[in-house]
Amino acid sequence: MLFSSPVFILGFLPLVLGGFFLAGRFGDQRAPLAWLLAADLVFYGWWNPWDVPLLAGSVAINHLLAQCIRRRSQAAPPKSAHPASSNPESSNPESSNPGSPTPEAPNPAAARYWLIAGVTFNLALLGWFKYATFLLHIAAPSAPSLNIALPLAISFFTFQQIMFLVDSAHARHEPAGPLPYAAFVCFFPHLIAGPIVRPSEILPQLRAPGLARPVAANLAAGTSIFLLGLGKKLVLADTFGAFANTGFAAAAHGTPLTLIEAWYAALAYTLQIYFDFSGYSDMAIGLARMFNIRFPLNFNSPYKACDIADFWRRWHISLSRFLRDYLYSPLGGSRQGEALRLRNLMLTMLLGGLWHGAAWNFVAWGGLHGVYLVAHRSWMRLGCRLPGPIGQALTLLAVIVAWVPFRADGTAATLQMLRGMAGLNGLALPQMIVGAWPPLAVIARPVPVLLWLGDAHTLSLPEVSACLLLGWLIVLTLPHVHELSERARGWALTAGFAFTVQALFFAPYAAPFLYFRF
Amino acid sequence: MRDDHPGQVEALVADVVPRPSGFGRLLCAAGASLLIYAIMFGAVLDRPLDLGFLQHQLDDRLARAATINGPKLVILAGSNGPYSHRCEVIEAMLALPCVNGGVAVGIGLDYLFARWRAQLHAGDIVYLPMEQEQYTAGRTAEALGPDAAIMFRHDWTTLRALSPHRWLAALFAFDLRAALMSAIEMLMVAAHFHDPRAAVTGTSNAWGDHVGHTALLGAPSQTVIAAMARPSASASGIRDGYGTSVIVGFLQWARGHGVRVIGGLPTELDQLPRPEATGAALARVYLAHGGDFLELDNHSRYPLAAFFDTPLHLNEPCQIAHSILLARALAPLLGRTVREPAAPGDDCPSVTGGTTAGETNH
Repeated sequence: MLFSSPVFILGFLPLVLGGFFLAGRFGDQRAPLAWLLAADLVFYGWWNPWDVPLLAGSVAINHLLAQCIRRRSQAAPPKSAHPASSNPESSNPESSNPGSPTPEAPNPAAARYWLIAGVTFNLALLGWFKYATFLLHIAAPSAPSLNIALPLAISFFTFQQIMFLVDSAHARHEPAGPLPYAAFVCFFPHLIAGPIVRPSEILPQLRAPGLARPVAANLAAGTSIFLLGLGKKLVLADTFGAFANTGFAAAAHGTPLTLIEAWYAALAYTLQIYFDFSGYSDMAIGLARMFNIRFPLNFNSPYKACDIADFWRRWHISLSRFLRDYLYSPLGGSRQGEALRLRNLMLTMLLGGLWHGAAWNFVAWGGLHGVYLVAHRSWMRLGCRLPGPIGQALTLLAVIVAWVPFRADGTAATLQMLRGMAGLNGLALPQMIVGAWPPLAVIARPVPVLLWLGDAHTLSLPEVSACLLLGWLIVLTLPHVHELSERARGWALTAGFAFTVQALFFAPYAAPFLYFRF
Repeated sequence: MRDDHPGQVEALVADVVPRPSGFGRLLCAAGASLLIYAIMFGAVLDRPLDLGFLQHQLDDRLARAATINGPKLVILAGSNGPYSHRCEVIEAMLALPCVNGGVAVGIGLDYLFARWRAQLHAGDIVYLPMEQEQYTAGRTAEALGPDAAIMFRHDWTTLRALSPHRWLAALFAFDLRAALMSAIEMLMVAAHFHDPRAAVTGTSNAWGDHVGHTALLGAPSQTVIAAMARPSASASGIRDGYGTSVIVGFLQWARGHGVRVIGGLPTELDQLPRPEATGAALARVYLAHGGDFLELDNHSRYPLAAFFDTPLHLNEPCQIAHSILLARALAPLLGRTVREPAAPGDDCPSVTGGTTAGETNH
């Protein structure tokens, strides 16, 4: 069930929201969480019901592992050691964990072993479903595929739970009973494609006494953020996606793309992935807000970044934060000298790329960003600074080039696209334009239509140009949804709501969110 | 003269006009958005180069049909109608007034038939070499064709005659690209942009035929056409298509009004597959509902060199040659004597001598 589908918007969401508030009104504090968890599982099982046991099993095992870790963690003695009066969980029977064993003496070494076991379990699960065939083909290129279906959202809920285990070991959050924990991991707004939220950010909110009380301000703000995210996805991302698909499909078939066709496809994809994923994140944030939960920001106008490090502080912030805190820092971060710092940066980006998918193009994308970050770090150490606009333009160029292997169907398609972008296949222009301004014939080959641009009709060039101009104006000059005041959001909705309705009910097809595949 | 501080004015306005709550603001924004959208696309924005062109083509052909007294032949199809059929030639050969009434694939068939019904009378003959997409188009896709935008902007009379589903689809036929293209086209027209289409692809004659799409003009598109591979529709796709149901409705109307309908095959590139079952399914649409079906010996399939800019558009010499073959095949079906043309259509390399006889199924 896509967030952007009528069945979700008109059926699932009102039903779940209504049931949540009813449960809050007539049940105890467990009732709304139980209702929410049931809805989460229906939402998840909508794609493939056979994946639900995997999710449920993963959640159950991780909760047990977290308990083992916490019981043995020096920093977090068992909850029963706390006086009941000072226990913030005391009013919540779910989180008091009545069946827990008697207190044990802290044993940090044992806690560490349990943590390693837990992280290994999660990575093994992810590795099997996501990377087994990939690794097999590295070892034995001619081996047949293992035909393992990738369960939806496994990358996200695995990272989410690794985060929980590590934070449990460091007592960064309060203990959570099975129900709040399951509701936290499976909460449908972030289950499928993030944001990857810290337990300490969400669990206290799930335990808040007024959680299931309808708050008009939250409902209104959540709805407007959701609708703006929906517009980003349906109106903008899908429009640019259609342009990008034409060019990248041609490259995948080995068709030489001319300069404009290749650049327009790359520019369109750069916009598509931003509007798609940030739109999804906005929808997730808006949905969570309707349930009185606040999610952290996931995109902060990344294409306005003045350098590549700044880009990664603005793009998919929750993933960047995860990679920094749970991969880069444990690798040693910047604590072991410059050479190791650069190595850690490179490794983090390569693994971050691989997290997006078991394919070399994702590794190449991560590797490119690793190289960018290493180059940026080295440049900074030299004490050099570029003027702001030049730095921004260079960053944007680097990001656009890196999206090419990320999107292209394999190495050959990547090279085909890059050849076109480098102008090695020449420049072609519609003969309509060359005819209107004949000097262009000196640099451009006149053609009836640019076959791999938009719908390949006579006016495709001005059409795609206008769309790209609008898209780039939005991302480079306007504040993002969360920077807007309530009034400004109203104006943004006035501009986009009708187009969103049009796309929701009358678009020729529903394109899935790009990040679902990761 | 009072010199109110702006802040005081705002405060005054705020006292008089109640501030909307969060949800009130949301509803206002949504309502305003829909209202502005409807006004802009219904009365302000327009696409004179794209949709206006189609609209004028259709209006011109209907206007010609209105001037004809007595039986006439009308060709209705997608763009293969005007590009690959020459009413000018057929009319001369059969001594029967002819109007080439097709415009483009994507124009809703219900809209096309609704416009034409008023000009069709007992004794008229309608030849339908419809493209496969016109049979298989889904209901929503059919409702969102260019005609939806044309009707919402310019032709509420026809829109009112169609179903409520079409009204709603017409209201929501405009996406972001449509808005941007409207602005671009209106600016181009305001700037007296010289439309190069006549020079690049030819123009239309009084019969509604596309003319001037010479083999020379089409030469640069040969590689493009060769790359435009597309699968053939399946027999079940033809049988169950929404477009088929609209055509069947038109056949029933025609039978009730003494209008004779003859189905036909669109001109197609011979490299593209067309399974026999698909051809049979096409014929069955007509034969099972009181129409005739005419299939030429060459099944209206031609080699690459015969095409102009798409695998459905013949170039002008082959358009003429195909029309000669068609007129010869139609003659016995209509009980008419063929007057052979002065120029026998030998300029088309794909059709020699023009002696091929028509084959009819009826």
